[in-house]
Amino acid sequence: MRKSLIVNLSGILSAFLICGVVMQLQGYPAIESYAALFNQSVGSSYAFLTVLKNSIPLVLTGLSASVAFSSGPVNLGQPGQFLIGGLFATIGGLFVELPAPLMIPFMLMLAMIGGALWSFLAAIMKQLFDMDEYITTLMLNMIADLFTYWAISYPFFETGATFPQTPKIVKSGWMPSIGKFNSGIIVMLLAFIVVWFIYYRTTAGYEWRMTGQNPTFARLGGVPTRRNYLIIMLVTGALAGLAGGLVVMTGPRRFIKGIGANYAWDGIMVSMVANNNLFATLLYGIFFSTLETGSLGMELFTKVPSEMVTVLKAIIVLVVMAGRGSLEVLIRNWMTRQKMKARAEG
Amino acid sequence: MDSLIEIEHLIKIFPPNVVALDDVSVDFRKGEIHAIVGENGAGKSTLMKVLYGMHSADSGELRYHGKTVRFAAPGDAIQAGIGMVHQEILLVNEYTVWENVVLGQEPAGFFGRIDHGAARRIVTEKIHEFGFNLDADARVSELSVAARQKVEILKLLYRDVSFLILDEPTAVLTPQEIPQLFDELRRLRDNGHTIAFISHHLDEVLELSDRITVLRKGRKIATIPTAETTKSALAELMVGREVVFKPIKDNVPAGDIVFDLNGVNLKASNGKDLLRDVSIQVRASEIVGIAGVEGNGQLELVSVLTGLQRPDSGSLKIHGQELMDSSILDRRRRMSFVSQDRSRMGGCLTASIMENMLMTHHRLRSTFTAGGGILIDDQKAAAFAEDACRRFDVTYATIQAPFRSLSGGNQQKVILGRELTLDTPFVLLDQPTRGLDVGSIEYVHHQIMELSRAHRAILIFSADLEELFRITDRILVLHRGKIVADLETERTNIGEVGSWMLEGAKSDA
Amino acid sequence: MTILIGLLNGMISAATPLLLSSLGGALTYYAGIFNIAMEGMMLSGAFFAVLGSYTFGSWQAGLICAILGALMIALIFILFSVVLKVDEFVTGVGLNMFSLGLTTYLLRQIFKVKGAFTDPAIVPVPNIPIPFLSGVPFLGRIVSGQNLIVWLAIAATIVCHYVVFKTRFGLRLRAAGYNRDCLDTSGVSADRIRVWSLIWCAVLCGVAGAYLSLGYVKLFSENMSAGRGWISLAAVILVSGNPVGIALVSLLFGLADGLGLFLQRSIPSQFTAMLPYLATIIALFIYSARRRKATGN
Repeated sequence: MRKSLIVNLSGILSAFLICGVVMQLQGYPAIESYAALFNQSVGSSYAFLTVLKNSIPLVLTGLSASVAFSSGPVNLGQPGQFLIGGLFATIGGLFVELPAPLMIPFMLMLAMIGGALWSFLAAIMKQLFDMDEYITTLMLNMIADLFTYWAISYPFFETGATFPQTPKIVKSGWMPSIGKFNSGIIVMLLAFIVVWFIYYRTTAGYEWRMTGQNPTFARLGGVPTRRNYLIIMLVTGALAGLAGGLVVMTGPRRFIKGIGANYAWDGIMVSMVANNNLFATLLYGIFFSTLETGSLGMELFTKVPSEMVTVLKAIIVLVVMAGRGSLEVLIRNWMTRQKMKARAEG
Repeated sequence: MDSLIEIEHLIKIFPPNVVALDDVSVDFRKGEIHAIVGENGAGKSTLMKVLYGMHSADSGELRYHGKTVRFAAPGDAIQAGIGMVHQEILLVNEYTVWENVVLGQEPAGFFGRIDHGAARRIVTEKIHEFGFNLDADARVSELSVAARQKVEILKLLYRDVSFLILDEPTAVLTPQEIPQLFDELRRLRDNGHTIAFISHHLDEVLELSDRITVLRKGRKIATIPTAETTKSALAELMVGREVVFKPIKDNVPAGDIVFDLNGVNLKASNGKDLLRDVSIQVRASEIVGIAGVEGNGQLELVSVLTGLQRPDSGSLKIHGQELMDSSILDRRRRMSFVSQDRSRMGGCLTASIMENMLMTHHRLRSTFTAGGGILIDDQKAAAFAEDACRRFDVTYATIQAPFRSLSGGNQQKVILGRELTLDTPFVLLDQPTRGLDVGSIEYVHHQIMELSRAHRAILIFSADLEELFRITDRILVLHRGKIVADLETERTNIGEVGSWMLEGAKSDA
Repeated sequence: MTILIGLLNGMISAATPLLLSSLGGALTYYAGIFNIAMEGMMLSGAFFAVLGSYTFGSWQAGLICAILGALMIALIFILFSVVLKVDEFVTGVGLNMFSLGLTTYLLRQIFKVKGAFTDPAIVPVPNIPIPFLSGVPFLGRIVSGQNLIVWLAIAATIVCHYVVFKTRFGLRLRAAGYNRDCLDTSGVSADRIRVWSLIWCAVLCGVAGAYLSLGYVKLFSENMSAGRGWISLAAVILVSGNPVGIALVSLLFGLADGLGLFLQRSIPSQFTAMLPYLATIIALFIYSARRRKATGN
């Protein structure tokens, strides 16, 4: 536990250091820029509520990836599942009108069904034809991208719009806000708690964890690994779909082209840098959202282009991942030396 | 005779706590066949891998032609004239024989273009020179295992290697193929090659080698000229105590048939028979051992019993209940299973001790589950795991510590604890003492006796004959996928079982 | 006739960057690397091509800068995945993001624009007229006047085929993918082969990027590679890396691209654009069906 904290913190710090040096070399004041970045994201409760709202898709797609990777299936399909989920929710919001207390759960349910449907395609290809999901999900991502592009350009196109997009969804399907506090955050936290509970407190979660770490052991222990695979694919697809639905319902309130471009791969990055730990996924999701939200403030105050943050995130991921591996090697070497010493002493 | 290679005070540690080689010194003389013998886990392969540059030594010295050397990678060793044929054959299956042989040292012309003609010619010449029966253009994936091994040897000869390491080369061969290999090796020795030969088959070693080095638990015990030793002397050196069979089995009268396996057949995809009409019955309180040279169908039989693999035909009944078409979980309601592979099958290294203890129980018993088996009560689960650890004498720091932090013996006790508390009528043990220290072995054997007293039916696979003679009522011998002998332990001896194992027939002697 | 010529030229210009980056992907595929960083390499190449051409006023400099830009991504890939043993997929995702962030950042930092940059000072890679052919009706209008990089791509296909199947490097390259332990024990470091495959992959992706920004058009825009890296991955998996197969598949995908625009009225272009991915899924299905047949049952 302490070990991984050190790896993560030192990784983040070195990434900040690298980008700081780059900024300084280009004539930007690095310290002021970082100060502006954090001031504009966690400096006020107002700003932080925006951070939380922006973290919704990161956390949910991150959870999807973390649960999948640590339970076995290499579901890389969050980008596609996100889009299909968003599209399903949008379609519901265009053609059905219910009072808000029914409408919102209805649309969220549609989003989850959409995401799960998309991951089901990959799951069924694996189970029936033994086609590796890490390739099929990647291909399905691109297909989902093009499919939703088509859907919003033709059948659900808002007549007269200059950009591929659908009309706005019904008002009762908008996630309500109280001031800056968007209720989508509650849905995100609820989803996190439910997933966490299933994962760490139920027999099903126990089986998923064991299968992810050692599938043969789990299978010999009587775990129905085939059935669990399908369930995990559906659950993680539903999570990514939920992210898509929530983005539609909290943000533009319609499906516009490029809606998923900034989130879905980030989710996979979040889960990887968090080493598939669920709580770390939540924290990293919020942290990455902090960086993104703050980047605009940074640009405003010290003129550092906000894209710097994309570079910063990529460096954090790479450095933390590399640090984790290197630390493992260092520990092994240290243990060998200890053992040698113990031998020498008797 | 000159020493070609001298190894001095070699130490190799695998963290966290395995000392694979403990101050080992050996010398290899030019033009000898030098056998390295020892039980599983004695450090034979590790020693050779250090010599070959695959592992780095943590301490010690290596002298080659009198000069201190250090091989950082196999490439360096090959360059120096040392080559190794691995236990698991390392060839590119998609390539032809000649492509595999020249890989890494290809005769090439302009722009790195491989000179196919020259390469094939050289390889063909080598094949004739050493009298190997191989086709240079055959694809490796279509060759038999014995032929692949020849390709590996050829690959080394092509590199003008003067020192050859063979890691258990006979393990993958059929009995008919072994003499041919030995002839080839002798021819190589007579040509001036030096050969290190790893084996745990004493007969082979005595037949082939000039000198023998015995390793036991990472230490060198002795290096002796073959002419000056005997099989029993070697066995004693290997095992470390005089080989006496003191059966600890007490006479619990056997009850009704609990386990009934009938007519199991299994073919490989290439049509080879893996299991032939295997039938086994085990009664309550009875301990039945399966002996056999490794690779004679043990792996397949265990897979069929546990449900990992479906046989082509056959039935499996426990207490009269047909289980061959049942799920693994249904089998596990009636079958405890201790596998030989603690890290891959028996346990999960990265999970906690507690999580390892819960497996299977989480589906069958409800002492630590709630809500109709949906939830796991962490506190009750910890209590359950701690209780099992106490009953099975596991030494551990906390129940949440990772399984891999335990020693091999303690890992095995956790697995035994989990499996034996399942209270199943039938217990399947696959090499339950492999790689354990003497104390742990003793412990496991006494647990097995307890099982017998509790009227359970026990089937045990073991490569260790001594173990079988110590605890079983009956010994069945598996030879090429067939049960060739069914012997009462009290009325047979190690020689008889050994000849059944090696030849599939009773020896005349 | 004009339509057909337009279609063929469209096919060639869509196929060229795909062909180059897929060839790069094929080299890493043979070396057993799950490489998804083609996208980032291409994007970086496209940006640095414009930067080089604009700064030095020559397309040669642009081409060299493109290759260097892609090599930078490859070197980071090597550092993380080969040296530090970080998962290849993670490295790829991280680097694609890094490349996207870096190019947009530098676009604003150096050229002070958002979105896209074009300038008369950018020298494009020239088209090659073939004098005695340009007069020939149909053929001349296709063969003559193609961009230099188109010819480079054709040459690269032949060279890759030769290198992979005929040379010493090729034998080792494929061995690294089939059985890296075998290669290691044969005295050739598989890591070294992987490093070289990544370097050559970067060179090819760099040229592909240069084609995007200096051949096809004369500008750099954000996220210009637009998923071509994924199509390349699809192409490589589809034909298991075979260079000639890649050339055919790239042409096919290029044709789908050209046809997509052409058939827009009857079939939405999005569906023709799905073709590479659907084809890959189908190829995977056939592959696994064959494998199941081979292993029996």
